[in-house]
Amino acid sequence: MSTFTAEDRAAMAESVRRLLADKGDEAALRRAMETPSGYDAALWAELVELGVAGLIIDPAYDGLGGGPVELELIMEEAGAALLAAPLFASGVMAAALISASGDEGAKERLLPGLARGRIATVALTGDAGTWTPDGVTVGAHSHGARAFLDGTASFVLHGAAADVLLVVARVDGGFGIFEVAKGTPGLEITTLPSFDRTLRLTKLDFHHVPATRLGIAGWDAVEAMLKIALVALAGEQAGGARRVLDMTVQYAKTRIQFGRAIGSFQAIKHMAADLLLEAENATSAARHAAQQLAGGGEADEAVYLAAFACADAYSKIAADAIQMHGGIAFTWAHPAHLYLRRARADAQLLGAPPYHRERYLQAMGA
Amino acid sequence: MTDEELRTEVRAWLAANWKNDLPARADQWTVGPEQRAWLAKVVEARWAVNRWPSEWCGRDLSDAQAKIIEREFAAVKAPGAGQDRTHLYAITALTFGTDVMKAALLKGMLTGEINMCLLYSEPGAGSDLAGIRTRATRDGEEFVVNGQKVWTSGAATADYGMLIARTDWDVPKHNGISFFFLSMKQPGVEVRPLRQVTDESHFNEVFITDARVSADFLLGGLNNGWRVLQTALAYERSVMGDGARGPRRAGDGAANDLVALAREAGKLDDPVLRQDLAKVLSYRRLNALNNARAKADLAQGTSSSIMSLGKLAMSRILHEEARLRTALLGAGSLLDGEAFPRADDANFLTLNAYFTSIGGGTDQIQRNIIGERVLSLPKEPEIDRTIPFRDVRAG
Repeated sequence: MSTFTAEDRAAMAESVRRLLADKGDEAALRRAMETPSGYDAALWAELVELGVAGLIIDPAYDGLGGGPVELELIMEEAGAALLAAPLFASGVMAAALISASGDEGAKERLLPGLARGRIATVALTGDAGTWTPDGVTVGAHSHGARAFLDGTASFVLHGAAADVLLVVARVDGGFGIFEVAKGTPGLEITTLPSFDRTLRLTKLDFHHVPATRLGIAGWDAVEAMLKIALVALAGEQAGGARRVLDMTVQYAKTRIQFGRAIGSFQAIKHMAADLLLEAENATSAARHAAQQLAGGGEADEAVYLAAFACADAYSKIAADAIQMHGGIAFTWAHPAHLYLRRARADAQLLGAPPYHRERYLQAMGA
Repeated sequence: MTDEELRTEVRAWLAANWKNDLPARADQWTVGPEQRAWLAKVVEARWAVNRWPSEWCGRDLSDAQAKIIEREFAAVKAPGAGQDRTHLYAITALTFGTDVMKAALLKGMLTGEINMCLLYSEPGAGSDLAGIRTRATRDGEEFVVNGQKVWTSGAATADYGMLIARTDWDVPKHNGISFFFLSMKQPGVEVRPLRQVTDESHFNEVFITDARVSADFLLGGLNNGWRVLQTALAYERSVMGDGARGPRRAGDGAANDLVALAREAGKLDDPVLRQDLAKVLSYRRLNALNNARAKADLAQGTSSSIMSLGKLAMSRILHEEARLRTALLGAGSLLDGEAFPRADDANFLTLNAYFTSIGGGTDQIQRNIIGERVLSLPKEPEIDRTIPFRDVRAG
């Protein structure tokens, strides 16, 4: 249970916003995305300093003990600034998966490091990219007390930078979560070229890789992690959608054609009004999902609604933003395409909108 | 008087007078005799308009104290309090009316003796309301009114209509409009029900031929009508709830539930349709979440842009739900009428969705408003804004 007050929350969001405006602006982002790691280690260190890496980690393991509500809010800021950092991979997915594993030893061993900025990531789906049980193509085999992994995991965020890999693998007709250290023999990491240049996607090939299983956690823990991660992603999408819309509206006030600001034309104005509705929908859906998940009750409906509503809204807003800007946004130098790239990536990570729509219906019993 | 004394007084009065036995109203335009009797009691005891001055049925109370009274009324489900927030016509009359007019009408409006309607839109002035051509010409102590109004709800039962009419044709369009309370019960006013696209008659046309209105019933002064109208519209928007209707038949659970309808149609397993269903369901849900967030923001004192989006959202919800219903029924939607209630619902909703996307300002006008007032985008140049109305092109 989070102990954050509304003031704590607002203050933290404000600190992150200021830091990102100061050191995570567009120029910094463009520099970071051209580096092999894809992120600015100095900026990551400052985010860690603010506690962001351990935001959802229990204070018993040196985290801030925040919940989905705090996470969603911070992710709105990260999304608005297109933050390129291992926050989502390590601070959200890995932290949530370890926390959900029920393995006290693993928590003590791993979580304090993550809170201090050590990087972990989660390997879940194979080449199918479904983030469902069907999609898992790594298998685990036991030899005495040890387990060995074989197979492939793909679309792994920051796989090359991670010290610790948490691998979801098939075992004994079910699923288990396995810890693999960086550099373990038999593990082959390939960085994949990604459409969103601010992401680092990797493919992991396992050839009899020794691994440690986290307790007896199975798909339930994965599912719990995915819900928190979906809420975080929804926050990122809502924040990004809002920012790229703001940029576009601002441009429409200053760009003059036919002797008038283009925003005075209904062709542009009406698009902006429709997109504002999409942006508000995304924010409401993301925050509601966070509140439901934080409440501890049934949250599936809210989470899946946020998952597809935010993905669709961000994709639509980022796409229309380029159209509304016109030629200037067809250039590499303009930031609009960076938002479209992120929107398209976010709409695939952890499952695409049609999948979430189906889950939404199922959650409401249809 | 302290809050506690006030609360005690209103509780005691309600306990002594309120029996909670009013019959349901026949329709929203008329007030029955039992309601009128109750409202008269409320007005007589000065609970109707507590923020208003005592000379006009009020108590000069602060907003906070007035709310105490309204909460007590609401707690026992008694109507009649808080009309200083909700009675659009009475508020407009109090704010802009002459003392003669207020003395003649205010009390009757609050007690429901006097029914009202709106005489704003015209066949030639819909989205462009400032383009009205109904004329009011001064004749001694009166004005003579000629013209045609449309989309008037409750015109048949109304005693007075809030009328905008042109009183000066030689100035730009916004500057030559005046605002009147026109008596509907006079020979020059003819009300004709308008048969709507849904085959219902909710609205009327009002033909005005040499009707007369006293200069005492002019609000806000000559040629100041546009300003009065803006204020009245703002009140209207602030009290207007979500006016969108569901199917004709109330209480039919299945008809209101798209999932049940899909199941009934045997299409709940169709994967393409399921995607469509999830999308359409999400629109209504997202709108509810937006409204809840706006409310929470408002409670914390931060204003929200969401309120102005609600109408646009509702238009999409209604049109999309109607489209999905039609898709679920397939050829079944060819049929209509009482014997085919599912088809009748889908067909009715398909047409009635325009009530929301056109009525009260079209979606296109709403997008202008959102663009300009919420997003601060510049206005479109208006070529008729500064020339004498006489020279403005019409058609």
